[in-house]
Amino acid sequence: MDLPAGTRNYTYAQDMAIFRTKTHWAMLLALLVILFTAPLYWGNHWLSVANLIGITIIAATGLNILTGYCGQLSIGHAGFIAVGAYTSAVLTNRLELPFIVGLLAAGIIAGLIGLIFGTPSVRVKGFYLAISTIAAQFILIWVINHWTSVTGGFRGISVPPASIGGMIFVSQSSQFYLILVITVLVVFLAKNLARTRVGRAFVAIRDNDLAAEVMGINLFRYKLLAFFIGCFLAGIAGSLLAHWIGFLNAENFSIMDSILYIGIIIIGGLGTTTGPIFGVIFIRMLQQGITFIAPVLESTFALPAGFTTGIGPMVFGLAIVLFLILEPRGLAHRWQLFKASYRLWPFSY
Amino acid sequence: MAELLQFVITGITVGMIYALIALSFVLVWKSSGVANLALGQLVLISSWFTYGMLVQAGLPLWVGFVLIILFALALGWVIERFILRPLIAQPILSLITVTLGLAYFIEGAVSFIWPKSVAALPRLFPQEPIHIGTAVVSQEYLWAAAISVALFGLLSLYFKYHKMGIAMRATADDQMAVQACGIPVTRIFSRSWMLACVLAAVGGVLMSSIGGITFGLVETGLKAFSVVILGGLNSFLGAIIAGPIIGLAENLGGGYLTPLTWPGVKEVIPFIIIIIVMFLKPYGLFGEVRIERI
Repeated sequence: MDLPAGTRNYTYAQDMAIFRTKTHWAMLLALLVILFTAPLYWGNHWLSVANLIGITIIAATGLNILTGYCGQLSIGHAGFIAVGAYTSAVLTNRLELPFIVGLLAAGIIAGLIGLIFGTPSVRVKGFYLAISTIAAQFILIWVINHWTSVTGGFRGISVPPASIGGMIFVSQSSQFYLILVITVLVVFLAKNLARTRVGRAFVAIRDNDLAAEVMGINLFRYKLLAFFIGCFLAGIAGSLLAHWIGFLNAENFSIMDSILYIGIIIIGGLGTTTGPIFGVIFIRMLQQGITFIAPVLESTFALPAGFTTGIGPMVFGLAIVLFLILEPRGLAHRWQLFKASYRLWPFSY
Repeated sequence: MAELLQFVITGITVGMIYALIALSFVLVWKSSGVANLALGQLVLISSWFTYGMLVQAGLPLWVGFVLIILFALALGWVIERFILRPLIAQPILSLITVTLGLAYFIEGAVSFIWPKSVAALPRLFPQEPIHIGTAVVSQEYLWAAAISVALFGLLSLYFKYHKMGIAMRATADDQMAVQACGIPVTRIFSRSWMLACVLAAVGGVLMSSIGGITFGLVETGLKAFSVVILGGLNSFLGAIIAGPIIGLAENLGGGYLTPLTWPGVKEVIPFIIIIIVMFLKPYGLFGEVRIERI
């Protein structure tokens, strides 16, 4: 179903390749060309939307590895993103270390914090784990809000723009390239991770952890590895977010954001590489649409004052519920169906 | 010493309200195996609804209370019928996340209908404080605790003697066997959600009559999870015992640890307890340890 008729394999390497046909390669190149030339024809507004989408894709990919592949539900993802963001902010602002150090340290420290809060996953799962990650979210945000000497507390902390070597990423278009390169790398690594021993072990744990253990998978090691990778990517996303916004406040990382990340990977499709991308684009475009249309609706129909703030969460909540009921496999599955149908068209039988 | 007594009494009484909200969770978990993470939002929306009835519409107290109970029953029915019934027999991940979607929706609906973020309910209980020994306690706390205890009593009678209550316990025990006996399991689910929403609503009204209506009520709902975790997910007794423990820990910790650490430590103590319980005794004090088979 995944390939056009007549595609044959002669070697194992051919069979395992991600991009199989010439059309695949052509489409990949076209996509990359379009993405890398995007600043030429997108305005500043859409570039900033694209930057936010890129950052969110990195974070959602991390959550997808943790929840979608390994089955460990985490409702504290925004907390881990906050850890990464503040690590990077503190290192580059207060200690004046280079951006690259901040970026990597953000990933590693978020990953290590993730290990601490992920440890209960060895004994419990499902709801218990969900609750302990919610607790992680609240504890982390509380520490950030009150450790004023380091994080700036409620006043927040300003973050210098990212810079590598002599290049300083100030404008939206220069940041676009930075974020785009990292996003492409992360998606590529995630796609390959899912095909290795580690990825298969994650899937085995998700489907039945007891059976996986019997097959010789070290549950302790692999569950913690999933937490580390997931939170590492959250930290990377947090660092990019910090340097992109330029000013951090713990309000940017609320529990509702954590729920939104869960919603993103559900809408996109759990346990697929393309899922987070679809989910992020869907949610962020929905947000754009709502921020554009809500004030218009409010003034046209004289709706009550809470309409603009309330309609967003209502629509997202509804989207999560409807996707779970009607299409639990998410947009990625719909995309597969679409590909299959256009390949067979017009002879669909 | 007066301070200590004050913290203890406040802690126990607030803990009783937490226990009431936690009971709402346990009820749904026991009967249908759904983890209701929208608990805080249910508490929030029923408090705002009470505000809408009593203050905005200016209804007399007793009419308001009848309406809020009816509202909670309707809310529970709608949630079960339209959100959870289509997901029967889906993986636990879907059942948890669907309540997260519901939480998001309710929070949006609340800020849509009631755009202001803070409000106060009218005084429900007499105001003059009571002196217990050296401590001065406002009557609201005692009333709230008394109402919670009365509700526990009623509920335990309901589960012991009422036909529906017995059926609910049976469903919690073995769904297949119950269905084979001709008890409509979906109706049990529906009833338990309705009852759970009523409990959350009563907890919300008690909580907001003490502290006013804020988004902090969502956190109250989340703190009830620490009660659930400490007491054990499927134990009514556990919830009732763990509630005052959490309330005590929160108030004593808030009172004596704030000078040592940062302000606001009171707010995170329940969450720290969750993490500690997870490490030491993940299934709680009275929870049933699940034995898994492949």
